[in-house]
Amino acid sequence: MFEKMKELICQYVEVDPDSITRDSKFIEDLGFNSYDIMCMLGDAETEFDVEIDEEEIMKCKTVGDLLDYFGGQE
Amino acid sequence: MLKNIGGIEYDCYPLTSAQLLNLSLIKAGASGEVENIGVGDYLQIELNIAALREALNRAVERCESMRMRIWKDPETGELFQYIVPYQNEYFEYYDFSAWSEDKVTEVLNKWTSQPFDLCGGKLSRIVIVSLPDGYNGFYFNVHHACMDSSSVIAFTRDVIEIYCSLLYDMPYPKPMASYIESVKRDMAYEGSKKQKRDEEYWKKQLELSEPMYTDYTGPGRLMQLRRENKNKKQRWGMLASSDGNGNTITYELDVESTMKIMEFAKEYDLPMSAIILHAIRTVLAKFNNEEKDITISDLVSRRSTLNNKKCGGVRMHCFPLRTIMPMKTTVLESIRMIKKAQDEIFIHSDYDPLKCFGDLSEKFGAAPGSTYASVDFTYQPGTLAGMGDMLKGINFKSRWYSSGKQPKPMYITAMHRPNDGGLNFYFGYQTECATPEEIEFLYYFTGRVLFRSIENPDKTLKEIIDMT
Repeated sequence: MFEKMKELICQYVEVDPDSITRDSKFIEDLGFNSYDIMCMLGDAETEFDVEIDEEEIMKCKTVGDLLDYFGGQE
Repeated sequence: MLKNIGGIEYDCYPLTSAQLLNLSLIKAGASGEVENIGVGDYLQIELNIAALREALNRAVERCESMRMRIWKDPETGELFQYIVPYQNEYFEYYDFSAWSEDKVTEVLNKWTSQPFDLCGGKLSRIVIVSLPDGYNGFYFNVHHACMDSSSVIAFTRDVIEIYCSLLYDMPYPKPMASYIESVKRDMAYEGSKKQKRDEEYWKKQLELSEPMYTDYTGPGRLMQLRRENKNKKQRWGMLASSDGNGNTITYELDVESTMKIMEFAKEYDLPMSAIILHAIRTVLAKFNNEEKDITISDLVSRRSTLNNKKCGGVRMHCFPLRTIMPMKTTVLESIRMIKKAQDEIFIHSDYDPLKCFGDLSEKFGAAPGSTYASVDFTYQPGTLAGMGDMLKGINFKSRWYSSGKQPKPMYITAMHRPNDGGLNFYFGYQTECATPEEIEFLYYFTGRVLFRSIENPDKTLKEIIDMT
């Protein structure tokens, strides 16, 4: 799932996939803005086949947070 | 699918929902036949015409949507798009350097008002131009079915970057992304799992109560409609121009004030667009007897992925951004509610906006052409603002020209200036629907609410309205 997430992230921001860790923060480290994040989540919903609760998901600040969220949804 | 057009076979694709949204405005007669974007980008350096022609040609070659054509199937009347191969072009040169800036603007506005024949070939025009004060560059006019403002910015930036790399020690820009691939992605969306999720979301919005129309001039227009329709409870409005004639008034917010908003956004981790929307929303509430149910039409660029940022074309969708807030709501609560509503729109923004608005009207029995939003808004973060660093001291200016038509009655765009990063507010309006005085009034109160709000984030909407 982490590798898939990295692939998804690299469609949105210009970062070296190897530099993405579970601790990477979407806004501060990866250069996302809130619009990009929401659009990526829309794609992630389909990619990982999970239902997103918009309010809950906005608490996810790092890649690891999001992976945990999706993990918990599976 | 392959179509034979003028004896040549082309891969043809249906128009996307974003293109159909733009064309619906023409069909409705709202903007006559003119649906153009006109811009000019100029550098204050000596002009090298040969290098600029080369840069323009290379940029056209790299940008598929610059070579997009529209074809109408004579049997079905259906519109298709296709890409013609690149061919070297000769771009005309006009020397306006001895003219006044106002006179040049008048001419370029006039050029922008010349309609393109939608199914007649090229949908853009580029002219190399010299302006007064040593500024040289190019004027670019394109049909809105080909490009939206984001792709106009991406294309013109590409031209300047190529030009500078040909003449100076500056890096050659990375390739543009394929427009046709983005069209294919849009086609794949139809019937997909994502579309079903989006549809579910928008259908769920229809289960809510009927929204309330709030006009930027106050409740008078709705009251009049209620009298005409003998319906005291009518909640939809009707705001349309018969000829689409319009204008744009630009207000420049100084850098210091812009920085205040940006610092507030950073401090509270809030997007700029939500803060500005809060101000517009609160002004609409103020003008409409402190109405708590406000809908603004929110335009979404749909350019979040790297490919979509650089693929050109038209991707802009718009959706009703509805928030219901009692007057005791604080500024911070208001902005956060708007952000949440906006986030939901972002997630579901691939959905067909014409269907969304159509379903809304149908559900509440509103008349064709009716609306619940008097204002359309977009915040344009992807601007030429970064050009200053790249150009290393070369003065640069960018101008947007008016076609004399407006697609919407009141369309507010907030965009950062390329030279100093300050915010410009563009009020595009149809002259049958607003007067310059009404615009001035709207901007004045939007500014007041904006700054009272960021100075007093814990005050309630009622308190902010009373302060302004």
